[in-house]
Amino acid sequence: MSDKLKTKFLGKTIKSPLVLPAGIMDMSFSGLNYAVQNGAGIVTSKSLTLEPRMGHKGPVVAEFEGGLLNCMGLCNPGIEDGLAEINQFKKHSDIPVIVSVFATNILDFLKLTKYVNKSKADFLELNLSCPNVFDEFGIPLSASKEKVGEIISAVKKISKLPIIAKLSPNVYDISEIALSAESAGADALCLINTVGPGMLIDTKMVKPVLFNKFGGLSGPCIKPIALKLIYQTYSAVNIPIIGMGGVKSGEDAVEMLMAGATVIGVGTAVYCRGIEVFNKINDEITKFMKEENYKKLSEIPKLKKL
Amino acid sequence: MNKRFTLSIAKIVEETKGIKTFTFKHKLDAKPGQFIMLTDFEGGEKPFSISDCTEDEFSITVKKIGEFTARLFQKRIEDYVSIRGAYGSSFFISKNKVLLVGGGYAIPTFYFLSKILLKNKADITLINGARTKEEHIFADRFQKLNIKVINATNDGSFGEKGTVVNVAKKLIEDENFDFLYASGPEMMMKTLQKVCGEIEYEFLFERYMKCAIGICGNCTMDPLGLRLCVEGPVLPKKKIKLLTEFGKYHRDASGERIKY
Repeated sequence: MSDKLKTKFLGKTIKSPLVLPAGIMDMSFSGLNYAVQNGAGIVTSKSLTLEPRMGHKGPVVAEFEGGLLNCMGLCNPGIEDGLAEINQFKKHSDIPVIVSVFATNILDFLKLTKYVNKSKADFLELNLSCPNVFDEFGIPLSASKEKVGEIISAVKKISKLPIIAKLSPNVYDISEIALSAESAGADALCLINTVGPGMLIDTKMVKPVLFNKFGGLSGPCIKPIALKLIYQTYSAVNIPIIGMGGVKSGEDAVEMLMAGATVIGVGTAVYCRGIEVFNKINDEITKFMKEENYKKLSEIPKLKKL
Repeated sequence: MNKRFTLSIAKIVEETKGIKTFTFKHKLDAKPGQFIMLTDFEGGEKPFSISDCTEDEFSITVKKIGEFTARLFQKRIEDYVSIRGAYGSSFFISKNKVLLVGGGYAIPTFYFLSKILLKNKADITLINGARTKEEHIFADRFQKLNIKVINATNDGSFGEKGTVVNVAKKLIEDENFDFLYASGPEMMMKTLQKVCGEIEYEFLFERYMKCAIGICGNCTMDPLGLRLCVEGPVLPKKKIKLLTEFGKYHRDASGERIKY
């Protein structure tokens, strides 16, 4: 991997700006390893909850021309087993790990934070934006700037790790949510979570394809939305952004950086281009930098803020 | 992108109590060892190995083990189900002397494999085992192929008495096989591995699958992180030897480790 790709994120040096986001290949320590071996610079755990969750019944994914619809339903082995996988990963790797946690109230977020404090994780991500558990939990927390502020303030008081807030694209004004997160003490933001949700219908059986009926959209079709929201957020806040949404090439990644992202998430592209996608994108970014004569990643310019 | 196909069931054969073969008139682009995902949109989508695949039809052979398969067993000819695939890795197609070792409901995938191996002029010996005569399947079908078949049951009620591993051990000592294929319960394959010696082999594994397209991580195997739905379900000897979870544990739908 080219040295040119080396960069810093929240004080940690990383060899590639590519992040394996929550929910992708991250059920086990070995899945994380596999992504790292293929060129990811930061990895994220599945969103962990206090108790194990089996997730929704299948079909939980549907492939379509624009990308994927998914409604995994926050399946995870629970915070204790999930962190055991992270600790096992960290035994043999110095790659920074983001532990993502999901809860629906302050008390549970605090309990989760205490567990993460005792783990080998590097960053704590608060998943405030899962779109696929509406029946169970209602509208995602990140729809409300007040709730986002309250939860982050509370977690900030006890977290030993920098806090990343994962935000939903499905809001009226993302910049006010992002500002609320920043002023409550978030150290970074991660956006966008999946779009929609949307649905697909099987026309022979007259049934929604996903058993959960609705699922979050990801993949190439959401990239323009992601870029716009990242740019709006970047214009509003001063904390770093993990930018994601439909990135599958070096060109896409550079667009994310120009929109204001510090590092870039690559998820659905693992489906589009295979596990090799991280190294492919790393190479494509390097090639772009060479062509445009950028010596380091931080030289790639950002757009002028809104 | 893999297209989803909603197909009507063309044929249903009851192999034995609790095991049925479903056939669909559809040109499936599949290789031996690969699987499809199947759903009826009533809750659940499960992977099934392909037990036969020709120019214009394919079959899956299903054991009734839970709520989903129980519902599938109530389907009749012309009922719709929806499939996607074929997915995953496939068996190496040898042209030499090969041994196929299979047990229980995992044997049907070897029917598809045998037909393709025969096209490649391989010399095939198959050990088809089950616990009892009642659970033994596909004996008639394999008999019609031009291959050497040894049937075995644990209780001796059909064919030789003993486990497929015992039968395989003796064969491996007496004959020279170039390649070995196994498909069956994980602990059977774990024991079989010990008697394989220098022979090259491929085993077909099972893990809890959800997305089947390599992103959800539910079926990764430790410590390599191989995604069984993409790099598997067929794994070669050099990868199997590195697996630390083989015969020890697997993960359930939540990702929690379940010991064998």
